[in-house]
Amino acid sequence: MPLLARLLTLRNSPLLLQLPPFASALCIVVGIAWLFILPLDEYSRQTYVSENAILPGQVHTYFGGSEHNVFRAYRQEVYGISGWDERDRLNAVESVIRDIGLKPARQDYRYTVAGEDIEGTNLYTILQGPRADATEAMVLIAAWRNFDGQVNFSGVALVLTLARYFKRWSIWSKDIIVLIPSDSTYGPEAWVSAYHSTATEVTSSRNVSELPIKAGALQAAVAIDYPVGPWGHRFDKLDILYDGINGALPNLDLLNTAVSIANGQMGIGCSLHGITAHSDKYPDRLKILTKGVITQSAGHATGPHSAFMPYHVDAITLKTLGDGWHDEMSLGRTTESIFRSINNLLEHLHQSFFFYILLGAQRFVSIGNYLPAAMLIAGNFTVTALALWVQSGRAPIASSPKSGSTNKQLQEGQLEVVKTAGAIVLIPKQATRTVQRQLFVPVLAVLAVHLLGILPIQALNTLNRAYLSLGLRIIAAISYILPAFIAIILVRGVKVSRQQIQIMQSFSLLLLGAALSTLATLNFSLAFVVGVLAAPLSFVRPLSIGRRSSNGSDVAIAMGSMGRYGQYLVEILGALTWTAVSPPTVLYAMTWYFDKDMQWMLLEMAKGWHAQGVYTPLVIWSIWWPAWILGGIVLVAGAAERVE
Amino acid sequence: MKLTHLLALPASLLALLTPTLAGPEYNEHLHLLPLSNDYLYAGFNFTSTTSLSAYESHHYRYFPRSLGQILQYTHTSELHLRFALGRWDDESWGARPRDGGREGGTGVELWAWIDRDGGGEKVEERWGDLVNSLSGLFCASLNFIDGTKTVRPVLSFESEGSSRGSDGVGQQLLHGTLPNEVVCTENLTPFLKLLPCKGKAGISSLLDGHKVFDANWQTMSIDVRPICPSSATNTDDECMLEIQQTVDVVLDIERSMRPRDDPIPRPRPIEEIECDETKHYNGPDSCYPKRKEGAMGWSLSKIFGTPVLGSCHLAEDDAHENVDITLEVPSTRVVETSALQLSSPVVDAQNTDIRHFKLQEGIHRTDLTLPYQPNVASTLRSQPPLYATRQITGHGQERGGMHTLLHNPHPYPQTIIYLETLPWFLRPYMHTLKISHKSSSKTVELEKMFYTPAIDRKRATKLEVQFTVPASTTLELTYDFEKAVLRYTEYPPDANRGFDIAAAVIRVLPQSQTAAQSQAQSGAAGSGCKGRGSYLRTTSLLLPLPTPDFSMPYNVIILTSTVIALGFGSIFNLVVRRFVLVGEVPRGPLHAVVARVRELVGKVRGGKMGKAGDVGGDLGGADEDSGSGGKDTGVSTGKSGGISDPVMGSGSDKVD
Repeated sequence: MPLLARLLTLRNSPLLLQLPPFASALCIVVGIAWLFILPLDEYSRQTYVSENAILPGQVHTYFGGSEHNVFRAYRQEVYGISGWDERDRLNAVESVIRDIGLKPARQDYRYTVAGEDIEGTNLYTILQGPRADATEAMVLIAAWRNFDGQVNFSGVALVLTLARYFKRWSIWSKDIIVLIPSDSTYGPEAWVSAYHSTATEVTSSRNVSELPIKAGALQAAVAIDYPVGPWGHRFDKLDILYDGINGALPNLDLLNTAVSIANGQMGIGCSLHGITAHSDKYPDRLKILTKGVITQSAGHATGPHSAFMPYHVDAITLKTLGDGWHDEMSLGRTTESIFRSINNLLEHLHQSFFFYILLGAQRFVSIGNYLPAAMLIAGNFTVTALALWVQSGRAPIASSPKSGSTNKQLQEGQLEVVKTAGAIVLIPKQATRTVQRQLFVPVLAVLAVHLLGILPIQALNTLNRAYLSLGLRIIAAISYILPAFIAIILVRGVKVSRQQIQIMQSFSLLLLGAALSTLATLNFSLAFVVGVLAAPLSFVRPLSIGRRSSNGSDVAIAMGSMGRYGQYLVEILGALTWTAVSPPTVLYAMTWYFDKDMQWMLLEMAKGWHAQGVYTPLVIWSIWWPAWILGGIVLVAGAAERVE
Repeated sequence: MKLTHLLALPASLLALLTPTLAGPEYNEHLHLLPLSNDYLYAGFNFTSTTSLSAYESHHYRYFPRSLGQILQYTHTSELHLRFALGRWDDESWGARPRDGGREGGTGVELWAWIDRDGGGEKVEERWGDLVNSLSGLFCASLNFIDGTKTVRPVLSFESEGSSRGSDGVGQQLLHGTLPNEVVCTENLTPFLKLLPCKGKAGISSLLDGHKVFDANWQTMSIDVRPICPSSATNTDDECMLEIQQTVDVVLDIERSMRPRDDPIPRPRPIEEIECDETKHYNGPDSCYPKRKEGAMGWSLSKIFGTPVLGSCHLAEDDAHENVDITLEVPSTRVVETSALQLSSPVVDAQNTDIRHFKLQEGIHRTDLTLPYQPNVASTLRSQPPLYATRQITGHGQERGGMHTLLHNPHPYPQTIIYLETLPWFLRPYMHTLKISHKSSSKTVELEKMFYTPAIDRKRATKLEVQFTVPASTTLELTYDFEKAVLRYTEYPPDANRGFDIAAAVIRVLPQSQTAAQSQAQSGAAGSGCKGRGSYLRTTSLLLPLPTPDFSMPYNVIILTSTVIALGFGSIFNLVVRRFVLVGEVPRGPLHAVVARVRELVGKVRGGKMGKAGDVGGDLGGADEDSGSGGKDTGVSTGKSGGISDPVMGSGSDKVD
């Protein structure tokens, strides 16, 4: 009881009321710092194979000998047809598949995004496992063109040779689907979505035909990217691509299997994100972590495997890198061994982690260790939101506790006589006065701004490619005008009070905090990046420049006895920061940093939205952008009051 | 016992029965048929019959005693048991052997007609006995066919026996499937034990587990049926009981011919691979393998690992034209036989491609060899009556859809009966059931539908529909379903694999019967084998259900939630609780009464307690201890005392 009572009195402590801005700042600092300690040995772990059934590298691989001659012939074949037009090329590959003794099937797809057509045909065949009962299947992919647009000569040839070789084995307990899509992103996407549906509804942006033949539930998919023609090229390392759409990841066991087979059985080194020189020291680990966070927050496909992740099919791409002494047969044997391991699976991959951050091919951080980073950053918004809510419920005087000279003020009629149960108590008035919160206008404003977020999404995803960058420029311009416009309407037209502005900001931040913490469990990287970029919104307070009563912002309070100029400086800095980290500016900054064309990037985003189901634009324009606009309204509202 | 009174059936009914009788008591037959893409179909059939009177007086000769006793005990008049594995490739292999009548869905399938006397419960009990006994006999998990896997189809199956006359009152058809049962050697061994030659002689000596289960498609079946002769032809003939055991396999010739001591399919030396020399890049390092042409050479001993050992001619009247092996290859194909006697007629009168052979008595090892032949016209297999594929669509943990494609390749409409047995945790939305043309999405009317909804944990869903597939069209049968969430303990050890959904059974009604089929299934006429139409089964499916993460993260979540709940609880308590002084609590009207009663009780108890303390009995001693504790600390409330002892409770109340 005494403890509770003490806690209750703490509710009114002025110290506690000043704490939230510091707590928020602390959350952000700790959240960001958290990510930087993850690469340390103490916070990350060595990867390990969790599923006992996989037994990676426990089988002898026989892919070799005359298969090499066959491979070379197939590669010549693929090389010979590479210049042909689409239809002849498909027919030629089909005839190879028929010669192997398998039945080929085709699927056409067409996406229309921003006035651009993405067309192609997926060619695939099902190798029915002799021991299989058509309930499970694994997928072997070699896209005709790899992610960089090169023709995947050796990859396609290897996949065909493996199909011929696999056909002789009677050990397969799952069907093997050999898939040769036209491209690396949209082909697999069209195929896997058609595999899981019957709906062939043709929309204006999507026309994917049905699959003529199907097998059972997909267990795993492995894609091969080896764009080397008949001239041959020996590679040094195997780059394992693992990021799925929207930052989804394959089960860590699949990755571990590939790494341990390539590394342990075949002696091929593995790399991630194309970083071949990895010393397994802090800087390299941090580099891989950063690259992972960036690709996962973008949420776009990084290879043919990416499309499989949303359907709960674990998939990876094996990509050859560098100059070394490993040849196509080593890659073939690695693939053979991986398929033998997947074939061993009795259950769907589920044992190991689905949420992890890789620091190297053999080092990872599990969700328990990294999640607090994003959660703390999301939490900072909630802390500020709650503080604002509490503040909005107090009489305005409460916000000026010049604590040193309270006695005097208190004596000047601020005390109230309360008679209860025969006792007479003197209580400061502010403690007993409650303020009615007026919620209607704030709620309406928050809702309206969030609904407005639909407009940029619609605009950027339906405009023709030629107008995309113009569209973004207009959106950027509107984004900067809109807060001032709404603020003036609210302050002068609707006559909102200071309290309502506070409540509005509280709601906005509450929503942001809740949305980001939820998102952190789905796509940690995106939640973290957006959280960091939106962090200044916690410190936005109505501008007090020129205002006579200096009951100003919490930041100023936090500054304690610092003078008014200090406060102005802080406010100007804050306003500048707010301006700098707007969604449009960040987009422009990204194109500048990665040295890409704005139109190209917007087109990719539109393609991702329509064809791949990437939800990053949704997060940007309906979570971050509205919060940023509302922050702007709060900022300008102070100035608007002053002008009035 | 139940079968004897069939003889007393009205002559009008029996007249309709087909007279199929009076062969040898035991007969075995092997049908060999090379299929396209170097596959070989081998169909073994072992038929033995016994007279019903001998069966009922427990005289077993060729009829297996172990099975006979089970059937008698469980009052089963007709039994069909299937073990199946793999897929039949309709597109390359054509129509199914025996019109699909001797195959089952993946796993184990069992249906039987059980005598109904004694009521429904009795039938269930007998069915339970039957599956449990068969489970023991065949080393299969047949005992898992319980109520949740048993259905009672109406249209899909017809009794094959000619004792059909008493149906309607006498027998109940029950059908159960175990799609997740893996058929293996342990099931083949007891199967062979039922044969008179036990797999040691005759064509059954070819049945070796290694080869049978390396097949691409394999099905074993046991069919027991009573046959009664038509009384019109011969009244003296008594009823017979027939058991047919079949093993149908499709073997990959190349894979089966691999030597046993080196079964690993290593890449062959380059010299052995036939390269396409027309390719411009053909050279010492590149070789485009030529497409295989011609018919691959094979022999019985290489494919099955052993030649036929001896013969198993048991029937007394062996003079009867007993054909052991039928080979169906083009007449141009060379066949070398060792110690095989071509039975007459040497080749089939109608079809010159069919050759019959007879095993010679006294020859120990018999083989049949077909050497490689480059140019052989492939035999055209007849088209299957229907193509059917079934898939689960959708992804995620909650909903899904079933999608069946039925393609009729023939230029005439076909009426089919589609039977699905769905486990209770798959809940179909029947309002979404739709059969439509694939091309035009025009819906097709259902002719008949028998639907039994599932009862959670008790009964499976049975969906039996009859409709007509128009000529040369593809129909789409779709419905949506919901996945139930199982209880924690109901998950199998391999929960993440998914749950097997049994194959759909499709019965294609025969052409002639389509019009008059309503009469046929009303049960008056037990039609012959031809009249039943043909069967096909789709593949079984794997249904992923929402599965809890059984491992560590699950515990972590529970623990964290508990901690959060506790933390939340105390803070919530702090926030909403009002603290008031005792005096401020308003007094209810009952308060005075309660206080008065308490006071009285307290007085009485107080006296008692003092007494107990004085006496110092066991109980009293304990009371004393806790009582003194209460007095010392003075914080104990009525409740804490009350838990240990009601007497003490009021005592410490008084202390307060």
